[in-house]
Amino acid sequence: MNERQDPKTLKASPAGTPTPLIDGPEKTTGQAQYSADFYSPDTLTGVIYRSPYAHAEITELDVSEANALEGVVAIVTGDDCSQTFGILPIARNEYPMARGRIRYFGEPVAAIAAVDEKTARKALSLIKMTVKELPAYFTLKDAMAPDAILIHDDKAGNIEREVHNEFGDVEDGFEQADLVREATFKCAEICQTHMEPHASLAEWDDERQHLTIRTCTQVPYYVHLMLAHTMEIERNQIRVIKPFVGGGFGTRTETLNFEIIAGLLARAAKGKVALHLNREETFLTSRTRPYTEITMKIGMTKDGKLTATQCHALQLGGAYAGYGIVTILYAGALLQGIYDIPAVKYDGIRVNANVPPSGAMRGHGTVNSRHAFECLLDEMAKELGLDPVEVRRRNLLIAPTETMSGIKITSYGLDECIDKVETESGWKKKAGKLGPGRGIGFACSQYISGAAKPVNWTGEPHAVVNLKLDFDGSITALTGAADIGQGSSTIVAQSVAEVCGLDINKIRVITNDSAITPKDNGSYSSRVTMMVGNATIDAASRLRDMLVVAASEKLDASPQDIEIVNEMFRVSGGQDEGLPFQEVVEAALVDTGTITVKGTFTCPPEFQGGKHRGGAVGSTMGFSYSAQAVEVSVDPDTGQVTVHDVWVAHDCGFAINPLAVEGQIQGSVWMGMGQALSEETRYHKNGMPMFTNMLDYRVPSIIESPPIHTYIVESIDPNGPFGAKEAGECSLSSFIPALVNAVEDATGLRYTELPVTPDRLVEALAKKQHRDKVAAARKASEGATS
Amino acid sequence: MTELLPEFTLLQPGSIDEAIAMYADRDATREAIRYVAGGTDLLVNMRRGIGDPETLISLNGVADLTAVTENSDGSATLGAGVTLAVLIEHSTIMDRYPAVAHAAREIAGPGHRESGTVGGNLCLDTRCVFYNQSLWWRQSNDYCLKYKGDICHVAPKGDFCHAAFSGDLAPVFLVLGVEIEIVGPEGTRRIPLLELYTGDGMDHLTLKPGELLTAVHLPAEPLPALYEKHRVRGAIDFPLAGVAVALSGENGKVETLTIAVTGTNTNPFLVEDLDGFAGSSLDEDDQTRLAEIVQKQVSPMKTTLVQPYGRRRIAGAMARRLAVRLLETA
Repeated sequence: MNERQDPKTLKASPAGTPTPLIDGPEKTTGQAQYSADFYSPDTLTGVIYRSPYAHAEITELDVSEANALEGVVAIVTGDDCSQTFGILPIARNEYPMARGRIRYFGEPVAAIAAVDEKTARKALSLIKMTVKELPAYFTLKDAMAPDAILIHDDKAGNIEREVHNEFGDVEDGFEQADLVREATFKCAEICQTHMEPHASLAEWDDERQHLTIRTCTQVPYYVHLMLAHTMEIERNQIRVIKPFVGGGFGTRTETLNFEIIAGLLARAAKGKVALHLNREETFLTSRTRPYTEITMKIGMTKDGKLTATQCHALQLGGAYAGYGIVTILYAGALLQGIYDIPAVKYDGIRVNANVPPSGAMRGHGTVNSRHAFECLLDEMAKELGLDPVEVRRRNLLIAPTETMSGIKITSYGLDECIDKVETESGWKKKAGKLGPGRGIGFACSQYISGAAKPVNWTGEPHAVVNLKLDFDGSITALTGAADIGQGSSTIVAQSVAEVCGLDINKIRVITNDSAITPKDNGSYSSRVTMMVGNATIDAASRLRDMLVVAASEKLDASPQDIEIVNEMFRVSGGQDEGLPFQEVVEAALVDTGTITVKGTFTCPPEFQGGKHRGGAVGSTMGFSYSAQAVEVSVDPDTGQVTVHDVWVAHDCGFAINPLAVEGQIQGSVWMGMGQALSEETRYHKNGMPMFTNMLDYRVPSIIESPPIHTYIVESIDPNGPFGAKEAGECSLSSFIPALVNAVEDATGLRYTELPVTPDRLVEALAKKQHRDKVAAARKASEGATS
Repeated sequence: MTELLPEFTLLQPGSIDEAIAMYADRDATREAIRYVAGGTDLLVNMRRGIGDPETLISLNGVADLTAVTENSDGSATLGAGVTLAVLIEHSTIMDRYPAVAHAAREIAGPGHRESGTVGGNLCLDTRCVFYNQSLWWRQSNDYCLKYKGDICHVAPKGDFCHAAFSGDLAPVFLVLGVEIEIVGPEGTRRIPLLELYTGDGMDHLTLKPGELLTAVHLPAEPLPALYEKHRVRGAIDFPLAGVAVALSGENGKVETLTIAVTGTNTNPFLVEDLDGFAGSSLDEDDQTRLAEIVQKQVSPMKTTLVQPYGRRRIAGAMARRLAVRLLETA
């Protein structure tokens, strides 16, 4: 507390000061309550009966024996919910529990609420299901085979969605190039693997016909909409509370089947049901980053100028639509907006298959395309004898500008990011000179600061924040923005404190209770700082104006002459000490009582993307940028890649909380490292997931965690709150290609599959060694004969 | 949620004799009664519905099992209940058997090592990606040959269980030539460690019902030895291949060479056909030959998600480089 009262600290501007997260103490002391932590003796245990088949017609489902078991309170099946759900209003083709058709192994079929877990599990074993098995497909090739049966009758060829667009003249671009290269990259499916397994607590008040649900979501608003829709009740019969959440990374953007099942079970049981998924079930309900095959083609002049690019992406989307249409659009949308490329063509196909549906994961849809582009760019630069860093520098944009796809770029710090990383990493001294066995790689990336057009179009503002000021002199910010660990509540507190000239301790932030807080579009696409931050500034400015008027009346001055210094309201330039905050509050409350103000933010239409089909995807109020260098060594015997150092610069516009920005960059690097080195899903030939535990799904351990040198670049975006942009996703994308480029620098091997596991690498190195040997022998024999 | 443990009776003997007597009193099959020490293997499996013992005999109160003793002849005896965490930091082990301390440090994570024991690591159940799964998963896949099922999903045409032995201590102990002590209803016996293993992934230990591994006898004059573990992550993972090498040499030439491997076969084993290396200076040709011999004798199967090709190659490469390192310092 003493530290807080240090005048130097008070004087410091709250926005821009490294600030420990305001919800940190609860987390670090174990007092934070997550969705699985709420318990009362009347809570029933929910369990889900899951399909042991990957693709089947249900011919009979008999729950009578399970229902008869003592202690079983309710059973629900597909018969209890005839409404499909899904995040995109145009693509809802999934039932919370299968009706008639099962499309992936582990898909929920029924659910039980019982007095305790033992009874619930016993009841599970009494459910009897008979099915007619259908041919099932787990790969792009099998699902797209001409004789494959349809997973959804209305999706011919098992294609969920195709995207084709071309901006500029790509053919002409390739003709202008001195070098055109094309390569195919295969990127494994990966999971978010948030620490907290999925959990919901649903409580049905049968007297009032009212549902209260506590659930681990990134977007409580979507849960609210989907519960009303699937349970066929009014929205005002539902209250959604988001307690502390242990990570999301995209999984929890969509409403997930277990949340609806919890609601259905609670209503059927006329009581309170806790539905806690284990790690295996959480993996099955992951909404992964899909398995992707990308064929990338780039044209380049001998000076390293980009002339055109063409990208063909195939995504193994899984059994249902989910978020997938947006995912396949994103894979093409962010080919633009980072470099100056005169022509860009994109063809994307999302394929249905009998694996759990994929969806949004940190860097939604963009990561694998960026990986392919940055790897191929690196290869072409070297082929032309150019420095890969210099090639990127020769293709920079100049802000303000607009992409061919109609997205505005209002700030651009990529040049500064590149300079910073090049210098700090010692790139010029190291590139091509560390090997053999050691190398350095470089890559860049960009990401959006919030999707400018919301998925659910309502005409409402994109963010609303309420502030309440009462007699006690504290300001309560009410927001529906979901803090899932990324620090959004702290941004709200800092923003209010900054605008009102107060210490951050005066601000309390209440979040995510639909009975109390205003609706928010939720935590996805890195939108919260941009949109909720701006709405907060709007609200705080209104409150500040009211306080200034009250102070001016008491000080007998005009409002424009009032300044706030160290929580004192005084006449600017005067000698008087002025009024302390509490006195101003008391003055402001006279006649009106408790003050409530509202702030809003809406992305203007001109920022909501181009007019072409799918043009809203990729649109944003501001792109963040990242440049990254990764230094590795490769053990030639074991194929083990060790990351020694990472240098990463991130243009986040302005770091409202530099401490959180640094943490987000480190987290992005670390998650990218998992995708690059060790994480992948795997399915058995019958579609059973082989990886659904923390031993076989290899998230890096702390031993793999390298020193990460982070550099914050501030391009001060004109749209951003205090100039801020995105900080939590962009630096994931640049890690992966930087690592793979470093492996090439160390070994001469261009590896085109992810992850770069030791077994893969050792095999590829052996093949390369053989190829090199054959080539050398051929050369020698040619030399001998000539 | 974490699966519930099945119900069982927990017995807590204070001595080895009492533990043996408790087992004998219950006169049960090994499925129905189990010894448990650290529980990092057994309890995890039980939560997944692997094994449903009515009785667990906890060895945690048996003080006789937890000593590290330096004997007057220069040898040392490790109680089977010594934890891996103790093993890592014990001065006798660090000074005289550093490869043992190193191998122990490579096991799982710090939390596991606080509970996991020497005996537990030597008796570790064999592992397979078709076996170490949830009850629901295994049920849905018609179980497997190792437990409750009829076929091995790794090699469906055969009738052999390929689950891999994955303990890290065994190969080091094998190259050091340790003997183990086993106490049972019929008394005490002392055997070379190699004889603990059957080579069958399904029933991998030669322990008879009621028998308990109580101690490991380390030799008085151990050869210099090294252990290297291959895995994807630097912590947590079981070995995809683990190789221990012991080597003595003089004037840059090999005198004796012993190699043992874990993680690739159903048992930890000593590599054969190494006699030809006596007198070798391990030039490039001999190094290649050494790697090839190891590659031929390991037989990794698809018991993990990591492909056998790489594991085979890597095992050979690790053996080669460990031998070279030992010869350089011999």
